[in-house]
Amino acid sequence: MQNMRENLTATKDTKILSLDHVGLYYSRRQGFLKRSRFWALQDVSFDLHSGETLGVIGKNGVGKSTLLRVLAGIIAPNTGKVEVHRPGLRFSLISLGAGFVPFLSGRENATLSGMMLGATKKEILSRMDDIVAFAELNGFFDEPVNTYSTGMRARLGFSVAYHLDPDVILLDEVLGVGDEAFRYKSTAAMKERIKSEKTVVLVSHNVPLLREICDRVVWIEDGKTAAQGKVSEILDAYLKGIVHGAKQAT
Amino acid sequence: MRFNDTYCLRQGKWRNLTDLVIQKAIAGLRAEASRGYLGVLWWIIEPVMYMSVFYVAFAHLLNRGDENFVIFLLTGLIVWKWFHATLNTGANSLMANAGLMNQVYIPKIVFPLTNIAVNTFKFMIIFVLFLFFLQFTAVRVTWVWTLLPVLVLTQLLLIVAVTTLIGSIMPFFPDLRVILDNVLMMFLFLSGIFYDIDKLPTNVQGYLMLNPMAALIVMYRKILLEGLPPDWMQVFGILSLSVAIMILAVWILRRFDRIYPKIVF
Repeated sequence: MQNMRENLTATKDTKILSLDHVGLYYSRRQGFLKRSRFWALQDVSFDLHSGETLGVIGKNGVGKSTLLRVLAGIIAPNTGKVEVHRPGLRFSLISLGAGFVPFLSGRENATLSGMMLGATKKEILSRMDDIVAFAELNGFFDEPVNTYSTGMRARLGFSVAYHLDPDVILLDEVLGVGDEAFRYKSTAAMKERIKSEKTVVLVSHNVPLLREICDRVVWIEDGKTAAQGKVSEILDAYLKGIVHGAKQAT
Repeated sequence: MRFNDTYCLRQGKWRNLTDLVIQKAIAGLRAEASRGYLGVLWWIIEPVMYMSVFYVAFAHLLNRGDENFVIFLLTGLIVWKWFHATLNTGANSLMANAGLMNQVYIPKIVFPLTNIAVNTFKFMIIFVLFLFFLQFTAVRVTWVWTLLPVLVLTQLLLIVAVTTLIGSIMPFFPDLRVILDNVLMMFLFLSGIFYDIDKLPTNVQGYLMLNPMAALIVMYRKILLEGLPPDWMQVFGILSLSVAIMILAVWILRRFDRIYPKIVF
């Protein structure tokens, strides 16, 4: 705890990115020449500071994943502004097994996946030993990935993303990957990364996890920032809201 | 649609981009080769089957089976198939990668370029085999053959430009697919693959030669079968056209770089 608070004070006024009233819609085809708009994000504003771990909490379908994709620079918002204060930083959305090709070996897929995440081939090859060791594939590394179990694929994906060391890590509930042992290991590895100077945005419903590792929390409700600030305050309010909602429903 | 110009984090990394295209192309080729029992042999068998269809139809059924016509036909077909196969798969390249582009940020030009690299590799195998095969016919190698790379590169640039352009607009109008199939078939007949454009009436010739593929096929035949250099004005014309199309295509891809993932899924 002490450690985190120090981080927080040390990184004041070190904005690396700010979202300013960001809104984003998907348009869907609806019958002949007709389209309808679905606003996934309506009005989201917050700043991301260097070195902090920002938690994003909200119910299913409030636009959390869309928000991460905006932060990763994958999609552009329709309204509002995303401002990057320090250009050149590598934002990486940790998605497990991005672009795995079924007929290729784990090794080839690790290279390919790493390059798509923005690393150079040389970087990946130099870290290959760590990637293999961490993924615990025990001799399956040179077998095609379509012989892997879901857990093995996820482990390989996580290992690649983890070892590429982006400047800003965007995480979408992936800490719950693989079996109990690997989950423990990946969570521990992530926490270690988080405690270092890394900037992390973590999207989750897991209140205890957020409470443990975040420096600040943003609460998203219906595509809008409902509240943001101190971890304990926001999470308590969020839990109260859920209990309240459940009571109303019954 | 608003676009955040400030949010361009990874631009100008052309080396990385080329590496990624090559890596993806190799991955695609290897995956293709490890599917099915015959593996890499398909890269030879498939084109041979494709050409046999036309050979049977024209040489046997229409009774034009002399050696000259076969070489004439094969030259056109091999060159056309490269164009056709690339455009056919490249047009869908953005849609085919919908899942991927929603997971990681990748400059969208990577997708059509990967398709082009894969198909160009396959074309090269067949083209080299064809040049080898020509040694067993009456065709003589002359110094003009050294100009072949110029034609191949010109055609490559044309393919890159057209494929990238069609690929860039396809996500907005998926219905174009049906139109494209038929337009490609029309061009199969308009490109002088089965007949000699030079033997048609001059007023028709003028129109047909506006089609860059027709002009290229005529030039390939001139080099290979007659030992004559290509028409430099035409080469220059095709190059300029390709560059113009490419500028438009790259502009579209960059303009909608972060819009595509929202419309294809």
